Amino acid sequence: MDNQKFPKTKLAWLWENTKGGHVIYVFAMLGTILYNALQLTVPYFSGRIVDLFLTGPTARENLINQRDLFYRLIITMILMTLLRVVVMYFDCMAYENVSQLALYRIRNFLFQKIERQDMTFYSTYRTGDLMTRVTGDLDAVRHMLSWVIRVVIESFSLFFAAAIYFVVVDWKMALCILVISPFVFLIIRLFRDKVAPMHALLREKLAGMNTVAQENIAGNRVVKAFAREDYEMQKFQACNEEYRDTNKATAKVWIHYYPYVESFANLMPVVMLLAGGLFLIKGSLSMGEYVAISGLIWAIANPMRMMGNIMNEFQRFSAASRKVMEIYYSEPKIRNHEDAYTQHDRFQGKIEFKNVSFQYADGNLPVLHNISFTVEPGQTVAIMGETGCGKSTLIHLIPRFYEATEGEILIDGRNVEDYTLESLRKQIGMATQDVLLYSDSIEGNIAYGDSHIKLEEVVKFARYSEASEFIAKMPEGYDTIVGERGVGLSGGQKQRISLARALAVRPSILILDDTTSAVDMETEKKIQDSLNHLDFPCTKIIIAQRTSTTRTADKIIILKDGRIVEEGSHDELKEKGGYYSELLKLQTGDM
Amino acid sequence: MARNTYKVDEKLEEPFDIKHLLRASGYIKKYIKRMLFAMTLSGIGGAFGYLAPMIIQKALDVAIPAANTTMLFQLVALLVLVYAISTLFATIRGRIMVDVSQNIIFDIRKDIFEHLQELPFQYYDDRPHGKILIRVVNYVNSVSDMLSNGLINIVLEGFNLLFIIGFMFAVDVQLALVVMCGVPFLAIFMNYIKNKQRKAWQAVSNKNSNLNAYLQENIVGARITQIFSREDENAEVFKELSDDCRKTWHTAVMYSNLVWPGIDTISVLVRAAIFLFGLVVFGQGNKSLGTIVAISSYASFFWQPIMNLGNIFNNFINNIAYLERIFETIDEPVEVKDAEDAITMPPIKGKVEFKHVDFAYDETKDILTDLSFTVEPGESVALVGPTGAGKSTIVNLISRFYNVNAGEVLIDDQDISKVTLHSLRSQMGIMMQDSFIFSGTIEDNIRYGKLDATKEEIIEASKTVCADEFISSMKDGYLTEVKERGSSLSEGQKQLISFARTLLSNPSILVLDEATSSIDVQTEHALQMGLNAMLKGRTSFIIAHRLSTIRNCDKIMYIDNGGIMECGSHEELMAKKGYYYRLYTAQKVS
Repeated sequence: MDNQKFPKTKLAWLWENTKGGHVIYVFAMLGTILYNALQLTVPYFSGRIVDLFLTGPTARENLINQRDLFYRLIITMILMTLLRVVVMYFDCMAYENVSQLALYRIRNFLFQKIERQDMTFYSTYRTGDLMTRVTGDLDAVRHMLSWVIRVVIESFSLFFAAAIYFVVVDWKMALCILVISPFVFLIIRLFRDKVAPMHALLREKLAGMNTVAQENIAGNRVVKAFAREDYEMQKFQACNEEYRDTNKATAKVWIHYYPYVESFANLMPVVMLLAGGLFLIKGSLSMGEYVAISGLIWAIANPMRMMGNIMNEFQRFSAASRKVMEIYYSEPKIRNHEDAYTQHDRFQGKIEFKNVSFQYADGNLPVLHNISFTVEPGQTVAIMGETGCGKSTLIHLIPRFYEATEGEILIDGRNVEDYTLESLRKQIGMATQDVLLYSDSIEGNIAYGDSHIKLEEVVKFARYSEASEFIAKMPEGYDTIVGERGVGLSGGQKQRISLARALAVRPSILILDDTTSAVDMETEKKIQDSLNHLDFPCTKIIIAQRTSTTRTADKIIILKDGRIVEEGSHDELKEKGGYYSELLKLQTGDM
Repeated sequence: MARNTYKVDEKLEEPFDIKHLLRASGYIKKYIKRMLFAMTLSGIGGAFGYLAPMIIQKALDVAIPAANTTMLFQLVALLVLVYAISTLFATIRGRIMVDVSQNIIFDIRKDIFEHLQELPFQYYDDRPHGKILIRVVNYVNSVSDMLSNGLINIVLEGFNLLFIIGFMFAVDVQLALVVMCGVPFLAIFMNYIKNKQRKAWQAVSNKNSNLNAYLQENIVGARITQIFSREDENAEVFKELSDDCRKTWHTAVMYSNLVWPGIDTISVLVRAAIFLFGLVVFGQGNKSLGTIVAISSYASFFWQPIMNLGNIFNNFINNIAYLERIFETIDEPVEVKDAEDAITMPPIKGKVEFKHVDFAYDETKDILTDLSFTVEPGESVALVGPTGAGKSTIVNLISRFYNVNAGEVLIDDQDISKVTLHSLRSQMGIMMQDSFIFSGTIEDNIRYGKLDATKEEIIEASKTVCADEFISSMKDGYLTEVKERGSSLSEGQKQLISFARTLLSNPSILVLDEATSSIDVQTEHALQMGLNAMLKGRTSFIIAHRLSTIRNCDKIMYIDNGGIMECGSHEELMAKKGYYYRLYTAQKVS
């Protein structure tokens, strides 16, 4: 499943997202080479001080006669170090800068992508999984830019600088040492093949754990209601354990290869001593040359040691970026058509369903069959029917959360698919069944659709939805912060805030999906009254269970198994003796 | 009680101090033997590492000038041995420490998660869930290395340092003091950085937490965003949060990255000072050449561990910002918990009694005052009244989701604050307004009510609540996968599933809190039939607005103004022509 093809390779994608930082990044890479070069030269100065003024045969005289040189060397040593340190500092900051730039860009881009996805996407990806992609996975991408690449350059520049230096000093000696490095690369290659799948597995385990924790937190009420704390702990422990074990297994892949890499790296000073010693004895190598090479042997050996770490991080990046790019390049199926029409004005509000059929892509019920009806501007239509008959599915077709498989839906004579999504949805106010509020003030929640409206208007819409009274009673009124999903409010209160939120956009089409089910009857009646006296024209489509809600509707549509079985006004249907009249009997009982 | 939102940084209730660090060491205790073993290996391996330069020196000084090839071979063989041993030890240490550090993460995560299970609704209600999540998942990952390898390295480098200081003083006190002079500068420098750095990393953790909170809300609420076409505006908000993260990160690394160069600079200054003092200031000839060479090489040995310690310290400071958040969560007080001498609730017969109960969520507003009532076993009680009157509060008190402020709640004459929460709640079936669906199959979701339920029992329960029909008609039936947001299920279907889940748990007391509001009237009617048989002998509390649901109850309580305004059967209350009568007739007005 991970063999998905993306338009760009991972590194090309990464490079594209550092746009605006390319120059800095190139300089940063050059800076890395510079400070490593400086690192190689500083020992030269302290070496000269030691040679000239400490251990050399004429050290004592030099110290007296060449005091200037002594001071100059010391100052050069300090200045070179300072220079190196300053270069290194700004170099690191440059990497941080560009990596943060990329992180910022990709993160914002992902957010927008996620926001604009259609329902299919949301039923595919779990919340915890998506969160992992935007946080943990993205951090691996950042780490690639801020650390991995720097270390790669550092390692290679040290390696090549030292290698060239060795060759210049004595090519035979250099050959003896350098011949070891291909073995290290070979081991690292083997390591890569083993560790790559582990990283892919590891981030799956992380996403799994994230999901379980996320759902536990979101479902904390259910957990408590069933006293399932122990079960939840077991469930989480299982994920926690798997994640831990995968982490261990991943780390142990490296530990398995580490002794080989380390031994080859250690082989370098060993060969240095053996071959160098023999050359020295033979006289084909001078002591000075020996010291020059052995003083820099670390610059060859350490990059070898780093290879494992680099490869490990690279594989982590690779696994993570694949997950990030999957979202980055995903396209919702429901999107604006090329020549989509932008609706600037309010809709008249005429809605037509013409032979609409619908089926969920995953084959799940409910499906709609051949639905046709018309709502004139300003009318109120009530949709009723048994649980799962397709009511909610039907209304979701209007703002194009799903698209009809057959037939068409017209608003003011134009197919909904021909409007731009934004302009279409802007004209529609919708309050759904599962009320979702944000952890924000009540005012902020009501003004969600139009954050520019004034408090007076917020209050007005709260009054329409009969929410103003209970809000006013709260100690902080409209500034009261409601918890996520509106927890802390009763079901009825939440529904009324969500209704106010839908009204606050002054929609030309208002869709209410059983929005007053948890509201007591007295309040509901008042809400019905306000809805009939809105100060803007509005076509209403209302899903309801209570006949008290549907009574005043211009038209009532009864759905059964995805088909319209009854259609007409309250009075018409009452006489008809079908579902609706039965419902009336049930609800009013002895009436 | 102000709730936290994505816009607000979380205040740290208790700043970090050494106590926390000691506490963190509690997690290490379990593994102390293994860690000591790893440390010893590391120490020995390190000591062997020091042998290598000596062997090379010996070869260069003795074997090579003497052209003694045999000795050279012997020394090379020795060198191989030394490297092999130190590699072997390092490998073993690595193996041990991978286990230890992963176990520590595991333990901390376990603790924080288990503690979360004990925290009341309030805790979850008061902050965005993304902020809780980031602590469990992301923060814990950060601190493990510090608590495992970090600590070992501190000890090892500390030993290193002590040895070298000892050697230096043994060689020459004056020059050793010169070397040590760098230390106060280092201390001042580190102290300056430390304070800035700590604040900066706290800011990073705060901003990341905010971002996580906003992200989570928007993933969960994507449909709302789309309905209101808020995509652009939300993206702007997210951008700002994202920018905050970027800026705080910048500030933080600005300080963190200073540590290494700072130490580096001080170390080179010290080296220069040795040459100056050794050769010039202490007078030519005062110090032997050997002394200066020795001290200057010890000086570089001296600064290496300091640099390493600096790095570890750096890491420490960064991670403490996370550690204090983790401990904050683990320390969050649990208000509703088992009394020390709590007994197991015996099988519940179903008598429920409130005696002079007062309750308030916070000081500002009393919800219930001096509430008393008794419900006999097997009775069904409907709670009605305006929204926000306290109906949900009453049923929440029965399951002891909150502690009462005064008075007591008794079940079968047993004060429920004296029994274990688990034994109490596992005998109750509570269906709340939110019907939460876990990701998994429908069957799993129903089985949540009784973990060892057979498939037959699950189908049986589903049939009782009229859910079997729609579940069976799905492509994969009971094995249909649903997601947390349950997008392919309608709200009514979700309620039916959670209803089946509740029934399956075979509760002695059933609480339905607007549990059927989204179920259509006909289904509800059919459901009621099945329920009635089932409810026989069980005490039940029902909060509903639908008269058809309420009317059949044995007792109806009208709740308002913090107490019971009316109580009686449907007929009695209708005859009384009070609140209930008005409520009832409201629906009938056409």
